[in-house]
Amino acid sequence: MITFRLLEVAAAFLVLGAATAFFTRRRRKVCGWVSVAAMGGAAVLMIAVAVRAFAGAADAEVSVLPIASLRSALSVRVDALSALFLCVSGPVAWMTTLYSVEYMSRYTKDSVAKYFPVLLLLFFSIAGTVVTTDLFWFLVFWEVMTLTSFFLVIYERENRESHRAGLKYFIWNQGAALGMVAAALVLWRHAGSFGFAAIRDALGALQVSNPLLAHTVLFLFFAGFATKAGLLPFWNWLPDAYAAAPSSATAAFGGTMSKLGVYGLLRVFLHLLPLGSFTTSWGVVIACVGLASLFIGTLAALQQDDTKRLMSYHAIGQVGYMFLGIGAGLALLRTNPLLGTMGLVAGLFHMVNNCFYKSCLFLGAGAVEFRTGGRSLAAMSGGLGGVMSATMACSLIASLAIAGVPPLNGFASKWLMYVTGILGGEVSFLLPVAALVAMFISLVTLASFLKYLGGAFLGAATEVKGIREVPMTMLAPQVVLATLCIAAGLLPIVPLRLVHQAVVGLPSAAGLPALSALVGPGPNLALVKDGVVLATWAPMPVALVLLVLGAAAFFGLQRAGGAATRTVPVWAGGEEEEPALMRYRADSLYRPFKDAFHGMYPHVPPLQLSVPVFVRRTLDLDRWLFRPIARGTADAARGVSRTHVGIPQVYLLWIIVGAVAVIMTILLVSGGAP
Amino acid sequence: MNAAYLRTAAIAVLDVALLLVLSPLFEGVLRKLKAALHSRIGPPVVQPFVDTLKLLGKDDLLTVHSRAYAVTPALALASVLVLGTMVPIGGVPPLGFAGDVVGIIYVAGVGAVLLILTAFASGSPYAAVGGSREMMALLSVEPVVAVTLVVGAMKAGTLSAGGISAWNASHGPTISMTLAGLALFLAVQAQAGKLPFDIPEADQEIMGGPLVEQSGPRLALFRWAMWVRQLVFTLLLVELFFPWPRSGVFLLDLVSALAKAMLVLVLVAVVDVVNPRLKVEQAMGYYLRVAFSSLAALAFAVVGM
Amino acid sequence: MLTLALALVLVIPVAGAVMAGVARVGEARGVALRAALVTALLAIGVSWVAYPAGYRVMLAGLPWLEHGSSAGLFGLLLDPLATILLLVATVIGFLTVLYSGGYLQKENQEHSVGAEHHGRFYFWLLAFLASMVGVATAPNFLQLFVFWELTTVCSWSLISFYRSPSSLRAGFKAILMTHAGGLFFMAALLVMFVKTGSFDFDAPARLDGNVRGAVYAFLMIAAWGKAAQVPLNTWLPDAMEAPTPISAYLHAAAMVKAGVYLMARAVSSGWAMPEGVGLVMAIMALVTILIALSFYFVQDDLKRLLAYSTIAHLGYVLLGVAIGALGSPIALQGGALHIICHAFGKATLFLCVGAVAWKTGSRSIAGLRGIARIMPLTATAYFVGVLAVTGIPPFACFWSKFMILAGAMQLASPLGPVIMAVVLIESLVAFGWMLRVGQKVFLGPWTPPADRPLHPLPVSMQIALVALIAGCLVAPVVGIPLVHRIVP
Repeated sequence: MITFRLLEVAAAFLVLGAATAFFTRRRRKVCGWVSVAAMGGAAVLMIAVAVRAFAGAADAEVSVLPIASLRSALSVRVDALSALFLCVSGPVAWMTTLYSVEYMSRYTKDSVAKYFPVLLLLFFSIAGTVVTTDLFWFLVFWEVMTLTSFFLVIYERENRESHRAGLKYFIWNQGAALGMVAAALVLWRHAGSFGFAAIRDALGALQVSNPLLAHTVLFLFFAGFATKAGLLPFWNWLPDAYAAAPSSATAAFGGTMSKLGVYGLLRVFLHLLPLGSFTTSWGVVIACVGLASLFIGTLAALQQDDTKRLMSYHAIGQVGYMFLGIGAGLALLRTNPLLGTMGLVAGLFHMVNNCFYKSCLFLGAGAVEFRTGGRSLAAMSGGLGGVMSATMACSLIASLAIAGVPPLNGFASKWLMYVTGILGGEVSFLLPVAALVAMFISLVTLASFLKYLGGAFLGAATEVKGIREVPMTMLAPQVVLATLCIAAGLLPIVPLRLVHQAVVGLPSAAGLPALSALVGPGPNLALVKDGVVLATWAPMPVALVLLVLGAAAFFGLQRAGGAATRTVPVWAGGEEEEPALMRYRADSLYRPFKDAFHGMYPHVPPLQLSVPVFVRRTLDLDRWLFRPIARGTADAARGVSRTHVGIPQVYLLWIIVGAVAVIMTILLVSGGAP
Repeated sequence: MNAAYLRTAAIAVLDVALLLVLSPLFEGVLRKLKAALHSRIGPPVVQPFVDTLKLLGKDDLLTVHSRAYAVTPALALASVLVLGTMVPIGGVPPLGFAGDVVGIIYVAGVGAVLLILTAFASGSPYAAVGGSREMMALLSVEPVVAVTLVVGAMKAGTLSAGGISAWNASHGPTISMTLAGLALFLAVQAQAGKLPFDIPEADQEIMGGPLVEQSGPRLALFRWAMWVRQLVFTLLLVELFFPWPRSGVFLLDLVSALAKAMLVLVLVAVVDVVNPRLKVEQAMGYYLRVAFSSLAALAFAVVGM
Repeated sequence: MLTLALALVLVIPVAGAVMAGVARVGEARGVALRAALVTALLAIGVSWVAYPAGYRVMLAGLPWLEHGSSAGLFGLLLDPLATILLLVATVIGFLTVLYSGGYLQKENQEHSVGAEHHGRFYFWLLAFLASMVGVATAPNFLQLFVFWELTTVCSWSLISFYRSPSSLRAGFKAILMTHAGGLFFMAALLVMFVKTGSFDFDAPARLDGNVRGAVYAFLMIAAWGKAAQVPLNTWLPDAMEAPTPISAYLHAAAMVKAGVYLMARAVSSGWAMPEGVGLVMAIMALVTILIALSFYFVQDDLKRLLAYSTIAHLGYVLLGVAIGALGSPIALQGGALHIICHAFGKATLFLCVGAVAWKTGSRSIAGLRGIARIMPLTATAYFVGVLAVTGIPPFACFWSKFMILAGAMQLASPLGPVIMAVVLIESLVAFGWMLRVGQKVFLGPWTPPADRPLHPLPVSMQIALVALIAGCLVAPVVGIPLVHRIVP
């Protein structure tokens, strides 16, 4: 009950905050700060709820707002998985809201009434989605999430591009959501209720009685979640929509919303679906789709020029990592619980990490856009690092984290994934190959983010006037997120404990190996089996040795000779050229490599809706039914009226003709007999 | 327990010192050898030391001022040294408890990242071209390295480098490990930055590539890091894939490892001498083929050969 | 007491109509507004009081139609189903009157209307409101029929309000086609009365075999005519010649709902509709939904687009009712809920289009651009309306559509999945199209017209829009408890 009360207050914070923000819309900053306060309150409460759940204070399910005929009610229960998502999305949401206060001053033509209230409602729906245990309300919150994020995508009123992107986004996601509605209804029919527990039983029975239907249902759920997460082949909307929304909103999408695809996946495949052969086969499918996504998505990202599009394609790739980990975990869960758990934990841990660095990256790109107004890497003159050093530091950390450079957090989760893949070699040849592909793609990610850093931040200091560091309220969120990246990288065992608790808290994953069986007691990660160290990663010692050796090399070698430093201009082969002419543009980087993979990204032409003319004519009843009838009636009436000519003789003739006709009829009917 | 810690620490210090001292020496020997093959006299064997010492005292010419930029050479050197402590040299690697082969692959990337970041940050277009090429070289070679190490991990059933080395030493040669070793040998050529794969530096085209704006102590450290890197990768090759004979006596194994590394480097130098530089596309295609061929090793490993 | 109040709900609009009709130039508006407001408030109050139990009183009869029973033939009924229609008719009726106050002005860029026409307008509008109240509160088919035909008459007059040739033709077409349906209603009444001696709502259920099927089929055809269902659907798009508030009220919220209300009533009293008729009704509803959808893509007139959307949504209600008749009451509940949900959603959309036309003089999708700049409230209302009508939670129609779908899934026959597939596809396509149209019209850069002034939107129209936006959210909250009382 306490959990429910806390969540109620958090919801009140968000909804009332949205209302207050709406009414203070004329004062942009006030509106922003109101939202920050509301989101902050809600985030604290969400963390409190999460802490309660992790501490094992399991509150009973609370149901409100019953709809009798649907046998559904808004049931709320926070298990460890919900708690994990609450405690990740709460702070990220808070940080993006804080960032927005200053950031939204970019948009002078558009009212913030379209932004802050909608953002708060988005977070409201996200929280709602993860805490409910009723499939109907899950879908309701899910769609509210799509709805609110749509309005964030089309925020710029005069920008046609963003409208197109928003429309595409909404239609894709609505289509996917309707598929989930269908699946939910099928399950409801068999379960008689939308409660997760009843549906779990029904799905278990359906697996046996009608496997095809069960597969269809699972496919619809999978498609729904994959669409939200932007996974191949349901990705099409994502780069457009992410690029169109304000960067702060994009950070919220990348850091919180799209991750609910992962939440839904785990909820359906480890909660609604009892452990069985279906888990294995769908695990394979999920892993394959994840692998394809991470490969194609990341390679496509390398081709991008627009900073936000680049990061959006990486969002596709990153989500591929998560799905790969989770899929591999699901596939291995029955035959090899140790590796199965490892894969699940890896995928979910990667999700947590991704929330931090992805939102940090989007905020960084937003900061660049905020100061320079540009997003094209080719057009950037570089050197922003000289004037925006703190932003650059945060972006650098986040970039290295997403590329999996040790000892940051991205590496920790990727390490788990690779270990799963390589050690899974004894189960299937494909797992190590998947791990190898993932490793390769991790390098491509690195290439792509080095391009971003090089294009935007590195190089000789920019001389453009007026560019300076972004305000504190925009910087602080980036610093917080970057710090989280470092912290989770150096001490991965702490988030891993939560992640593991979240996974094993699910009904189908109960009884899986303990975390210490996977990665040892911590703080170092070590997979030990029968006394043999199978794999190990200890970020702290590595970082420590690196720092010690680095310091030694710096003071003991580099500066030992006490060499004088001098500033010199960039050498240009003896020529004296303008800096702009001498710049090696970001779009020229890795040309041969990019060309090798050119065009491998599928392109879907926009769908044109129309109904063939002849069909429409056939369907137009006026055309061939009513108008002819009306015309015929009118003609007939005119014909009749033509007989009324006003001449008595003619009338007399009609009387005679009529009389003869009547008599003839009578004679005919009576058969001649009088 | 304390003795074990001390031993580990001592080996770590020894490894670092050996790598720092031996890598320029090996480079000097290679230069001498190359000169001989060219029918030149060549520089003295200690020339790399002399160059380094001289550079450490020279003026540091900077195009960009920033604290982070200032420390990149030191960090680059440190990162390869860390890599060195994760790779077995004559036995168990001192930092083996901290990182397995996945760690090795990624820590090896750190040095490259620092180099490329420095290149981009220096603001020189030549350096940017060099950085771009460095990245592409990494993209082509790293999969090969990864495949071979994964083969090792699958054969040995552990990801730990020391474990793989020990397994290979005790089990003797197998088809998959030999194939993987050959693939890794081909990769070492590029990891060492030797012809025909010295594309990122390409002195005659882009004047040292990533390092074009580095001078004095910065240049010295980056060079040093490269020498250490080539030695470490050679050691990785010989220790994981050709660890025989393994006596069990640390010093003996150390010497044999270094001797084998020298042998490999001689081969590398010979290849270097007789080949012209490839184009980026050619190098990528070459390593793509190597990577796919090394998948054969993976296949062999799966079927247990 | 309740009887009196309920009677007043019926009488006040009549009185208001007469007073508005005879009022001096310029006063009709105030009179009508007050009458409509009182009606709406009374209706809400009555619904509130009658909610727990339902309410029925018989007042009087016609001696030559009494068959032994002493209960009156005419009377008043307020059960949950009636409450839904009553609330729709009175609340949206009031908002329409309110909106019309701003709409029918000289500043109207589409059709400037002088105050001298107000009397005629409000007379017919309130008369219509009264007829709708009559339809909603009728205790049997006979009284329902009487008010049903009265709505037709009022509709004819209101469609032809501008008296242009096209509007006269549209009015004529509307009365012809709806009346053709009305004839079937009359036939059903006659059969029913001859066979059972009663006009009670459950009289058809007491019939047997083929006769029962015929009566239900006749009623269904009547409903098709009134609710503009295929094949009697073509009058509704033409009726868009009416002033926009009229289109909103008559052709989205109220009058067309009388048709579907008739079916909901006929099915829910006795639950005895033969399966065959139910099947035909469901299939025709699906056909209607799809045919209406196919006309979306060629419309340039916003109002005609909305008209086709209305046809489709009336199809949804009938679909729900039909599924209810086939044996899953939850769908009928959903259909009934759809009556109120769709009424608010579609009225919002129509009044938005009216506001746009009022300000810019155009309803052309191709011609309008970026008017959110000058009409933020209208733009908001439009998007809310689209989301409400196409069924995006938390807005109105989601809940009703979901209940209809749930009912469809409950059916044992394979029709359920087919219905679900069609409904979901229609929802997605319609949603995408309406949203696209909204983006085209409201978003994008705005260029002010050079040739005419832009008057600020009258306050009364703004209030009506805000109230309807709220209604799109509140309608299911009100409706869900009500429809849950409609049980076999």
